[in-house]
Amino acid sequence: MANPGSRLLTGLTDDDAFRRGVQAWLANALPTDWRTRLQGATEEDVNRFQLWWLEERRKVGLATPHWPREWGGPGLPFSRQIIAYEEMARADAPELELMLISLFHLPATLFDAGTQEQRDLYLSGVRDGNDVWCQGFSEPGAGSDLASIRTTAARDADHYVVNGQKTWSSYAMYADYCLLLVRTDPHAARKHDGLSLFILDMRSPGVTVRPIRQITGEGEFAEIFLDDVIIPASNRIGAENRGWAIAQSTLSSERGLLLLSYAERVWQGYRKLSQVTRPSWLSDVGLRREFASFHAELLTVRLMIGRLLSMTEESEEGRLATLPVYIKLYWAPLLQRYTEFLVRAGGLVDQEWQPPVACTGHSSGVPALDFLKSFSWTISGGSNEIMRNIVAERFLGLPRA
Amino acid sequence: MSDADLDLLSESFADLLRAEWPIERAVAFASGDPAAISTNEGLQRSVIELGWPALTIAEEHGGLGLSRAAMARLYLALGAAVAPVPMLDTTLAAALIGDAGTPAQRERWLPLIASGSVRASISQPAMPALRCDGARMSGHARGLLDGGAANLFLLAAERRGRRGWVAIEASAAGVLVVPRRLVDPSRSAAEVVLDEVAVEDDAWILPPDPGRVADHLLRHAAIALAADALGAAESALASVIDYLKTRQQFGKVIGSFQALKHRLADHSTALVGARELLAYVAAMDDEDHHGLLNAISAKAQIARVAADVTRDCIQLFGGIGFTAEHPAHLYLKRAKLDEALFETGAGLLDRVADLLEAA
Ligand SMILES: Cc1cc2nc3c(=O)[nH]c(=O)nc-3n(C[C@H](O)[C@H](O)[C@H](O)COP(=O)(O)OP(=O)(O)OC[C@H]3O[C@@H](n4cnc5c(N)ncnc54)[C@H](O)[C@@H]3O)c2cc1C
Repeated sequence: MANPGSRLLTGLTDDDAFRRGVQAWLANALPTDWRTRLQGATEEDVNRFQLWWLEERRKVGLATPHWPREWGGPGLPFSRQIIAYEEMARADAPELELMLISLFHLPATLFDAGTQEQRDLYLSGVRDGNDVWCQGFSEPGAGSDLASIRTTAARDADHYVVNGQKTWSSYAMYADYCLLLVRTDPHAARKHDGLSLFILDMRSPGVTVRPIRQITGEGEFAEIFLDDVIIPASNRIGAENRGWAIAQSTLSSERGLLLLSYAERVWQGYRKLSQVTRPSWLSDVGLRREFASFHAELLTVRLMIGRLLSMTEESEEGRLATLPVYIKLYWAPLLQRYTEFLVRAGGLVDQEWQPPVACTGHSSGVPALDFLKSFSWTISGGSNEIMRNIVAERFLGLPRA
Repeated sequence: MSDADLDLLSESFADLLRAEWPIERAVAFASGDPAAISTNEGLQRSVIELGWPALTIAEEHGGLGLSRAAMARLYLALGAAVAPVPMLDTTLAAALIGDAGTPAQRERWLPLIASGSVRASISQPAMPALRCDGARMSGHARGLLDGGAANLFLLAAERRGRRGWVAIEASAAGVLVVPRRLVDPSRSAAEVVLDEVAVEDDAWILPPDPGRVADHLLRHAAIALAADALGAAESALASVIDYLKTRQQFGKVIGSFQALKHRLADHSTALVGARELLAYVAAMDDEDHHGLLNAISAKAQIARVAADVTRDCIQLFGGIGFTAEHPAHLYLKRAKLDEALFETGAGLLDRVADLLEAA
């Protein structure tokens, strides 16, 4: 094409025109049968498909719609970032699950704490390339109590030598890089104060990855074994022993636009059930009422996310600290109750095993799998129980045990 | 109205209620303390002086012409203070007359409602309609909220096959008002018995589309009740959180027990969400296609959550929460009545499901 810029939607400076542009592009670029093709596809095919879709998004400037210009993103105003994610979810465009950490957690981490060189080098690998990132925080002995991490990094001249084990790391088996949280000071008075965050090249000698099969049957996460792995000191993110605070910003990145996209998909699915699919259980009075009762809650979570996004834009500091936690604690149990309801309503029919449909968030249309997958929100990124501790102790001011 | 203006309005509601209706007074009033009953009269006067009954009435009829969002703030404040202000049915009567009354009815009643000299009570949607094809009406109507204090009744009624409402003044010959206590001591109801009461033509409100008018009222009521219940639940939760920070057992502050903390965290989360939902449905345009759906869906959900939170608060207070001298029961009773008014969960959810399928 003579002028590739001409296809960029990000040049549209009016919200309505932008929305129409995104809709038109989606109507054109999105194969209508992608779900059917992806159902039960091999992991390689699923990954290939996601990279293909990332490339389609890139052609119109929407590979990284929420990245500001400083990250090399399109620098869209917030309203248009929301429109981009809303429209992609409404059109049922594939969710780029493989790129989750690359698109959300990585930039949130590097933006405040990374060096200019790190930002230039690694953000461009996502923006212009296919770099898959994973997050290596959890360990067999450090889950909710993340600060008790035991994997160590010992400084040796211009590099660190890393030994230990990480687990539950999503997409680690496909990852090029890992955001690795390790202990650099075993003697710190407070265990939170001895941690540092690193960029690990997954091809480094001494890195072994073992995939773990999940309850959904998919192989989404993995263990990472680290045996005398060398990481250059220039790959440390932020100061030594300051990793804990940076890791918190990594974790909170998923409670904004990413959640908007997931919640929007669930909402679309909900509306479709009552208006298009009309499953036979809707003629049961009890189930129909229970179904109707989810309307207010699903609407609420969308409103809470919308509020968070508008506050982020206006940088209203006060509630910015509390609302993401409230959102996670509203959303995760709700998603689980709702997907559980759909399985129960479906009865025996939905007990029959069906292959998963990747890239659909929690709206694959296979109720049992959507339900099983809901635990990823209730357990990871701070379990429900940990969120409740935070609300009670930090927000409501109740004393620690 | 901007959020900041609404916040100012909320402050003014809360200021008055803090001064005139502190929670100890609500407790005393509930136990029939004569002093509290007489201060209640002072509260009613202040409420009228400040123009609360006029809030949503159009300016041309002597009202303040404020939005439903402002109304929601008023009910949040009333619920939070468990204030015995007979407001809901007056609000709804004004909405009914404003929406479906004749110009003469509007001119006659709305200024009187706005000035507080007329207090109304209106049939709940589930109540059967009275019938009257001639000039005199007999029958009885139950479940009239705020009926004991009302001087105007708007009763669901049918005339020559047309459904609507009939306006009956409490002082008219042949009208007997029998007050009924409710479980919620901050409000009351009445039964009205009509014996050959003369009904003029201009007492009838017979809109061509009574279903639409009833939905309009339902939407108002849903938002007011959701707000009222949420206000009560927020007060209950705040007071139990304070208590859990000081009460000690087993040598520790009971608020340090995780089993209790987690419940409070869930309640707090539910109420933060409810606030967001209430603000949204209260601000929706009249014409919005999803206005009714969202309002009744929110009412069913918020009233449910409020009833649940206020219920658990009694449990969290322990024995003290079971005493009449403690306010915890007032919040629970308030929320339970709000849940039951204008249809309980099941009826509303059936309607939500209908609207979802139609939308
Ligand atoms: C789908 C999925 C994807 C994941 N992806 C990643 C990833 O990419 N990278 C990564 O680093 N990690 C990842 N994780 C790991 C995740 O962050 C941890 O599972 C989580 O932090 C919980 O730790 P744990 O599994 O060790 O459970 P534990 O901490 O052992 O918790 C077990 C139970 O005890 C409860 N519990 C623990 N402490 C308390 C407490 N103080 N009070 C009350 N209850 C408590 C928990 O809530 C839970 O119910 C993923 C997990 C899942 C499920």
